[in-house]
Amino acid sequence: MKALRRALLALVAAGLVAAAMRLRGKGGVPPQSGGWRELVVNEPR
Amino acid sequence: MRVGVLGAGAVGTRAVRQLVASPNVEVVLVDPDGARAQRVATALGRQVSVAPTSAAMAGVRVVVLAQPAGHVAEATALIDRGVAVVSACDSPEDAAELLALDARAIGAGVPVVVGAGFSPGLSCLLARFASRSFDVVDEVYVAKHGTGGPACARQHHDSLAGTSLSWRVDGWLSRPAGSGRELCWFPEPVGGRDCYRAETAEPLLLHDAFPEATRIAARTSATRRDRLTSRLPMMRPPHAEGGLGAVRVELRGPRLGAREIEVLGAIDRPAIGAGAVAAVVALEVLAGAFPSGAYGLADPRLPTEHLLAELARRGVKAARFTGTGGM
Repeated sequence: MKALRRALLALVAAGLVAAAMRLRGKGGVPPQSGGWRELVVNEPR
Repeated sequence: MRVGVLGAGAVGTRAVRQLVASPNVEVVLVDPDGARAQRVATALGRQVSVAPTSAAMAGVRVVVLAQPAGHVAEATALIDRGVAVVSACDSPEDAAELLALDARAIGAGVPVVVGAGFSPGLSCLLARFASRSFDVVDEVYVAKHGTGGPACARQHHDSLAGTSLSWRVDGWLSRPAGSGRELCWFPEPVGGRDCYRAETAEPLLLHDAFPEATRIAARTSATRRDRLTSRLPMMRPPHAEGGLGAVRVELRGPRLGAREIEVLGAIDRPAIGAGAVAAVVALEVLAGAFPSGAYGLADPRLPTEHLLAELARRGVKAARFTGTGGM
């Protein structure tokens, strides 16, 4: 029973740490319009 | 024209392939594993010969360093022999030490091109190209996704466990690598990836090329497992060749009085892209288009447009993000 409690506690702690790591940082927003177009390079020479 | 290539791994082999596809170019290949070098030479034709060491490469005016990190000793010896160096290094230590060879390279009258690969390399070329349309570049952000050969995979693994450097206004900011998650959008089909601070060479090279920029940072894409295991030894041997990779460069600054953002990117297998960049740069060095000194590919004196056009002819094509909305 004691081992089970410890395992559950470890799982909860790991979940909290993972959630904190996941939430830190910027989420970003998918591009709302436009897209990627091939880059046209005008050679100077 | 004879070009030396050190390293017959994923990048070195692709560089040799690109070089022998160019007219009047012979390649001398050196690898610690002589049998591997011989296999590559046999596969790629009579234009490729094998030498036991870089000192034994006769008649070579430029050498591509495509072996795993630790390019400085080899580069120093080559500079002292009056041989130009094109280093495909991606480690910040290598980049810093190679940039410090600037005076030595100028004294010898040879160029030392630092970070001539996919990222850094193509990313630096894109940053310089994008900068042409700004009055001043204030901010440069680079992100990359994917790895090339085994050495690149090890570098990626280590880069998530070290210290990330970014330039902020007037000094370097050290942050733990693997922190600072940001969703970055690469050209399709790579698309959106979670990217993190990493110990990469790009901020050093970009700050050298854009001293006026107040913010410079680089991120690399990683999975949760990458981050979790980054401080441990690699659990299993790295892959021989990674999948599709991408680079993304975002520049910000004033243009005609308005604040603008320019986003460029490219996709390719990183080792193939790196080999193409290293080969194209080596050919331009032979053509005398590069000044003496040590610098990265974002240097303003380089023929950036010509290099990008030549890479596009070889299948390494860049893209621009057009449109509005969050990136």
